[in-house]
Amino acid sequence: MGNKWYAMIAPVITTGALVFSAPLVTHAAPNTFNTALPVAQGEFIWREQAVFRERSSGGPRDRDVSIQALASVLGYGINSRLAVFGAVPYFFNKALDVTTPMGRINRDTDGFGDVTAFARYTLYKNDFTGGTFRIAPVAGVTAPTGEDDERDRFGRLPRMLQTGDGAWDGFGGVVTTYQTLQYQLDAQLLYRENGRHDGFARGDETRFDASLQYRVWPASLENVSGTPGFVYALLESNLVHRDRNEVGGGVDQNSGGTQWLVAPGLQYIGRRWIFEGTVQLPAVSNPHSDALEDDAIVRVGFRRNF
Amino acid sequence: MFKQLLLLSAGLILSASALAAGNQYTLGVKGIACPYCAYGVEKRLNKVDGVENVAVDIGDSVVRVTMTEGSTLTESRARTAVKEAGFTLHSFSQAQAKQGESDGQ
Repeated sequence: MGNKWYAMIAPVITTGALVFSAPLVTHAAPNTFNTALPVAQGEFIWREQAVFRERSSGGPRDRDVSIQALASVLGYGINSRLAVFGAVPYFFNKALDVTTPMGRINRDTDGFGDVTAFARYTLYKNDFTGGTFRIAPVAGVTAPTGEDDERDRFGRLPRMLQTGDGAWDGFGGVVTTYQTLQYQLDAQLLYRENGRHDGFARGDETRFDASLQYRVWPASLENVSGTPGFVYALLESNLVHRDRNEVGGGVDQNSGGTQWLVAPGLQYIGRRWIFEGTVQLPAVSNPHSDALEDDAIVRVGFRRNF
Repeated sequence: MFKQLLLLSAGLILSASALAAGNQYTLGVKGIACPYCAYGVEKRLNKVDGVENVAVDIGDSVVRVTMTEGSTLTESRARTAVKEAGFTLHSFSQAQAKQGESDGQ
C-alpha cells in the first residue's frame, strides 16, 4: 500500500484502528492514528471511517487529486495485552486532474485497496485510579490486494491513482497513551517500508503523531453516577516525511517530502459507540519539487464495541 | 386476610432485598477512564457464571456486580475478568448483608 493510502488507513489502525486505531480499533482514541488502550480479551471492535482527501501539486502538471474512501477495520483482543487488527479501504472514487500536452484531463478509478493486518502488544502499563499510562509497540504488513494495473482510455493509470501498489509493505513503531477521566494524550512514532513491484516502490515513510483529547462534556463527574457518554474536543498533529518514490533504476524527483498537519475535531464516546470527526489541515509543507501534498483531509466515522 | 397478604408481601420483599444485598460486590478498578473502556470491563464480567448485572460508576472507578441468587463471585475470578479486559483490580468487597448475613470477606 502506498504512502498516501497508508496515511489514509493509519488512523483506523487503531486501534484500533486500525485503524487500524485503533485506530483502531477501539476506545477513546485519536482520529488520525493509533492508541495504546486495550481491546478486551476475546472481544471485537469495529470501526468505519469515511475519508475525503484533497491533494495537489504545483508545477506544469498542476495535479489535483480527490479521494473519497471508506476504511473498515476489525479488531480482536487475543488477550489483555495483544490485539490484532485487519483493515481494508474501499475507494468510491479516486480522481486526478492533470495538465498534459493534450490539455487538462481527468482520470479516475474505484474499488478495494490493499488490505492491512497488524498487531499491537502492550509492553508497559501503569493503571491508576481514573487513568492509565501505556506503551505498545505495533507492527504489521500490507498485502497487495488492490488493483495496480487499472487502465482507462489514456492507458495505464498513474501509480498514485491505482487502488493498490502491487507490493508487500511492512511497518512498525510504538504508540503511547496517557489517559485520565479529564483528558487523554497519545503519541505514535511509526516507520513504514514500502516494497517494490514492477519496477516501482513508493518512498518509505516516517511519521510522528500526537493527540490531545479533552473532555468538554460532562464538565464535571462529581455527583454523576453510572457511565455517561463523554464529549471530547480533539487537537491532533501529524508530522509525516516520505522519501522519494523509486522508478526503474532512479527516483521520482517530484514525490515525497515533509508535511505537518494539524487536526481539530470532536468525538462522542459512549459505552458501545464512538462517533467522531476531524479535519486535517496543513500547517507546514515542504514537498520535494512538485510532489503532491495534502490540502485537506476530512474524516468522519464511528466505532462499535461488540 | 388482607393484612396477612400484606405481611407476606413485606416479608418477601425484605428477604429478596437481603439476598440481593448478599449477592452484590463492589470492585475498585484502576485504569478505567472512558465509557468505551468501561464497557470492556462490563463485557468480561458479564461472562462470569452467575453474574446478573454489572454497573460501572466511572467517576469513582467502581464496578458493582450483582450475582444471581445462590451464586458468588470470588476475588480471584473478578481479578481475572478485570485483567482480561485490560485493567487492574485493586479492591474487592461484598456488599454488607442484611439480617445477620455475613459478607464472606
